[in-house]
Amino acid sequence: MKTLRLLGTGGVLAYRALFNWTTPAMYIGTLLAGPTFQLLFFAYLGRQLGVADDSFFILGNAVLAASNACVFGGTMAVANERRYGTLGHVLLSPRSRTVIFWGRVLPYAGNGLLIAAFTLLMGVLLLGLRIPLAALPGLALALAAGSLACGFFGLTLGALGLRFRDVWVVSNVSSALLLLLTGVNVPREGLPHWMIGVGQALPITHAAEAARLLAAGRGLGAAAPALVQELLVGAGYALFAAVLLRIFEAESRRRASLETV
Amino acid sequence: MSTLRTLLLGTLLHAKHLSRSPFEIALALVIPLVQATLAVYLFRAADEPHRLLEAAVGAGLMGIWSSVLTGSGGAIQRQRWHGTLEMIMLAPRHPVLIILPITAASAVTGTYSLLATLLWGRVVYGIPLDFTHPVAFLVAAVVCVAGLGMFGLLMASTFVLLRNANALANPLEYPIWLLSGMLVPIGALPSWTGPLAAILPTTWGARALREATNGGPVWPSAAICLAISVACLVLGSLFLVSFERRARAAGTLALS
Repeated sequence: MKTLRLLGTGGVLAYRALFNWTTPAMYIGTLLAGPTFQLLFFAYLGRQLGVADDSFFILGNAVLAASNACVFGGTMAVANERRYGTLGHVLLSPRSRTVIFWGRVLPYAGNGLLIAAFTLLMGVLLLGLRIPLAALPGLALALAAGSLACGFFGLTLGALGLRFRDVWVVSNVSSALLLLLTGVNVPREGLPHWMIGVGQALPITHAAEAARLLAAGRGLGAAAPALVQELLVGAGYALFAAVLLRIFEAESRRRASLETV
Repeated sequence: MSTLRTLLLGTLLHAKHLSRSPFEIALALVIPLVQATLAVYLFRAADEPHRLLEAAVGAGLMGIWSSVLTGSGGAIQRQRWHGTLEMIMLAPRHPVLIILPITAASAVTGTYSLLATLLWGRVVYGIPLDFTHPVAFLVAAVVCVAGLGMFGLLMASTFVLLRNANALANPLEYPIWLLSGMLVPIGALPSWTGPLAAILPTTWGARALREATNGGPVWPSAAICLAISVACLVLGSLFLVSFERRARAAGTLALS
């Protein structure tokens, strides 16, 4: 019960304290308007080039919309502790730091889900996407899986912040690479094999695939393998982040570089 | 002469300042290449290999706009963070001569995007650099960069009053890419976007570069880009002075 409280309440408190985009102006501008414009850009580009239909770009970009909040949020969950001078206090906690940091991902994933759903709604309202009602629960599951995987991916990048000073470079570049490698905007069969291979290990890729299958009316059974793969990718990043956090925490203590900004 | 010197030295100073930031360098190096790669694969998937050069130019221009947008959004905010905003506003020169070099420097450093995407396209994807009007392309690129610097001043001037200028700057990247026809032809957009596109210097700059690449009347587009940019400069100057006075009167120059 105490662990659950640490995961839930601790995560929410950290979200309110560390997420830089919680002011209404920043939230609407960066997390709602930005992904909507990105969706429109790729949908019109896709229409003009005839690469794929609108639903391909709408669903791909809706899943991707969660990535900004989740990837940067996960990074902020660690990096901003250092920036605000509170990292030492967190690492002195007698509770499991792994649970503390995993808990931090949950509000970001919830936020990511909200943003992805909003972007999908914009796709429906502005571009006339039609989704079968029966597909909605499965779509919610796909968006949630993508958001969670992105959150743990962000936490992995945030863990690098304990070792490297300018972790924002890594986050920005990673975020840009998600656009290219996950196949949300370019059909994956058009990408080189190595890019497809890298994309398989990234969040979003399988969630976008599942979302497209569901919206096409193929049912949860058809989308289940992709959903499971997305959850596995997320779990992999969760473990990887925990290992990195432990290693870098020990190293930061040894080198007395914990608060070096 | 001294005005020109202030502008040139200011631009050089801020360009050097930007070139010392690992964050700025890494983003300027990698993100245009990612965008160019994305554009190349999209155009290839569409079976339009003859438009790959156009895609590379468009991706480069997108990079310049991103650089100007980040530079303008951060022009005032960064001075606030550094604690230098009051000092530069107290300088015995017109505020425009102080702020314009910041946005001009971001446009100049953004030029790398255009060079990088063209080089990347040539070396990695073998895209021939067959510009119909190569000299006009160079002139159009210079006009475009100068125009974007002036447009950046207009944006930066409105950001003086905002605490979170980034909130306004962040979502402006894709709309300008879209409206200006940098990658998507304007004709593919709903007709109501036409008047909006027509008043953006980026639209005419992108058009001039596209015409220099594929053939067409480059100079009228370049001239319109320059004219709108000068209008932005004048408007930005008026806004900057007005907003600066308001911020001084309210005592919020460093706080707003």
